[in-house]
Amino acid sequence: MTVSISSYLMVALILFCVGLYGALTKRNAVVVLISIELMLNAVNINLVAFSKFGLHPGVAGQIFTLFTMTVAAAEVAVGLAILIALYRNKATVNVDEMDQMKR
Amino acid sequence: MEVKDIFSYDWSYLLPEFIILGFATGLSLLDLFAGKRLGKQAIGLLSLVGVLLATTFVFVNMTTLDQPYSYMADMIRIDDYGNAFKLLFLGGTAFTILISLSYLNQGEVAHRGEYYYLLLSGLLGAMVMASSADLITMFVGLELLSLSSYVLVGMRKKSLHSNESAFKYVVSGSIATAVTLFGMSYVYGLTGTTNIYEISQRLAEAGMMGYQFIIYMAFAFLAVGLAFKISAAPNHMWAPDVYQGAPTPVTAFLAVVSKAAGFSLVFRLLLISFLQVPSAEGPFFFVQGSLYLGLIAAASMIIGNTMALKQTNVKRMMAYSGIAQAGYLLVPFSPPTTLFFSEVIFYLFGYLLVSFGAFAVIMAVAKEQQTEDLKGFAGLYHRSPVMAISMTIFLLSLAGIPISVGFFGKFYLFMGALAQENYWLSGVMIVTSVVSYYYYFGIIRQMYMRSGESEAPLAVPRGIWLLVLLLAIATVFFGVFPGLVTDYIQVNFNPAFDFGNMLPS
Repeated sequence: MTVSISSYLMVALILFCVGLYGALTKRNAVVVLISIELMLNAVNINLVAFSKFGLHPGVAGQIFTLFTMTVAAAEVAVGLAILIALYRNKATVNVDEMDQMKR
Repeated sequence: MEVKDIFSYDWSYLLPEFIILGFATGLSLLDLFAGKRLGKQAIGLLSLVGVLLATTFVFVNMTTLDQPYSYMADMIRIDDYGNAFKLLFLGGTAFTILISLSYLNQGEVAHRGEYYYLLLSGLLGAMVMASSADLITMFVGLELLSLSSYVLVGMRKKSLHSNESAFKYVVSGSIATAVTLFGMSYVYGLTGTTNIYEISQRLAEAGMMGYQFIIYMAFAFLAVGLAFKISAAPNHMWAPDVYQGAPTPVTAFLAVVSKAAGFSLVFRLLLISFLQVPSAEGPFFFVQGSLYLGLIAAASMIIGNTMALKQTNVKRMMAYSGIAQAGYLLVPFSPPTTLFFSEVIFYLFGYLLVSFGAFAVIMAVAKEQQTEDLKGFAGLYHRSPVMAISMTIFLLSLAGIPISVGFFGKFYLFMGALAQENYWLSGVMIVTSVVSYYYYFGIIRQMYMRSGESEAPLAVPRGIWLLVLLLAIATVFFGVFPGLVTDYIQVNFNPAFDFGNMLPS
C-alpha cells in the first residue's frame, strides 16, 4: 500500500500552520520554542517525502534533513540559553511581559 | 558529473574562510587556557589581525582566479560575486572590532573573549553565504551567522533590554528560518537537487510541466523568509527592538554585515533559481517575481521612513532607517538590470562607511550622556565640533544629499530604475527619501540649534575620534570621486557584466 505524495505534503502543511499559529499566539516562551520546532519538522517531512516521491527522487533531501535537524537543535539550545538569562533578570517566561522596549 | 576526491582540489582558494575559522577556534582555546594572563585588548587585536589576513587572501584570490572555482559540485563556489561581498563583510567586521575595542571598556559585556570569536564565526557564516551555490551550504551559512548574532545581541547579560531583544531575535529569526526552509523544501521537491544551477534548469522544466503554483509558492516563502535577514518589509518587526537592545557595535554589525550577507544570499538564490522559469506573461522572474519584490521594496521604504519619524531613541531610528535602506537596495533587483550588481556593491560600500561612522558617534554620545535618546545630541556642536560635523556628513549621506557617497549610491539606484521604466518604484523612492530628510535633520537640529545641559567638551576615546574623522573624510572623498569605486568594481568584479561570474556559464 502506498500513500500518495499529496497526503504527506498536506500533513506537513498542517503541521507548519499549527506551528506558526502557536509561535505567534502562545504566551509561554517555551511553548513558542516548541512551536518553532513543529515548523522545522514540517520542513523535514516535506524533504523526506520529496526525496522518495518528488519529481526527481534522490537522497539529497534526506541529507538536507540531517542538516536542518542539527541546526534546529542548535537554535533551540541558544534560544533556551537566552531565555534562562532573561529569567534571571526578570522572573517570567511570559512573552507578553517582554515589553520593555515598546514605545 | 565526474567524482573528484577531496585531495584533487586546490584548497588554497578557501584560505580566507580557513583563516577566519582558524582564528575563531584558536582564540577560543587561547581564551580558555590563557584568558586571565592576556591583556584586555589582546583577543580583540588578534581577531583584527585575522580579519586583515583574510582580507589580503581575498585580494590574492581576486588576482589569481579569473574563472569561478567550485568545490564539491558548487557546495562552495569562489567567484567575483562572492569576493566582492566578502570584502564588504571583512571591512565591516574590522570596523566592528575597532569600535568594540573601546565599547568593551564600558564593562557591560563581561565576556570579552566570547564577544570576539562569536563575531568571527558570524563573519564566517556570512562568507559561506556569499560564496555557496547549494541550498544546504547556504542554509548552514545563514544559520551560522544567525546563531552567532543571537548570542551577540544578548551579550550584555545583566541588561534586561539586551536579554529581551535577544529572545525576540531568536524567535523571529527561527520563524523566518522555518519559512525559508519550507520554501527550499518545495524547490527541492520540484528539482530533486540542491545545486542552484541545476535547480535553475529543472525548475524551468517543472514550470513547463504545469507546476507553476508550487513554484510561485516556493518563491513567496523564500522571499518572505529571507526578508528577515535584510530586515525588509514583511519581516522587519524585529529590527527596532533588536537594534535598541544590542550592544552598539553589534547593532552596527547587524546593520551592515548581516544585512549585506542577506542580500548576497537573496540575489544569488532567487535570481539563479528562478531565472529560467516561464509563465504565461513572459519570464516569471521578470514579471511576477519582480513585481512581488518591488512591492516588498516599496513597503519597506514606506514603513521604514514613516515609522522613523516618531522615534525618539536614536538606535531605533537607525533601525527604521535601515529598513528603508533595505527597500532602496531591492529597487535595482526588481527587475534586475545589467548594472544591478555594481550599483548594489557601491551602495553597500557607502552604507558601510556611513553606518559605522554614525554608530561610532552614537556610541560615544550615548556613553557620555547615559541615554540613547535623541536629546543626548543637544548642543553637540559646541561640545565637540569634529563629532558634530562628522555626524552631519554621515546623516546627509544616509539621506542621499550631494557631495556624499550616499548621494551617488542612491542616484545610481534611481537611474537604474528609471532606465527600466520602473516609474512607480522610483516615485516611491523619491517621495520616501524626501520624508526621510525630516528625521535625519532632526538629529542635525539637535546638534546645532539646541543647547545641551553642559558645554563641557565631549570626552571621546582617541581611537573612536580618529575612526570617525577618517570615515567622514572617506564619505566626502568618495562622494566627490565616486568613479574610483565604480570603476574598481567594474574592472575587478564585473568586467563581463555577468554579475561577478554569478550567472551559469
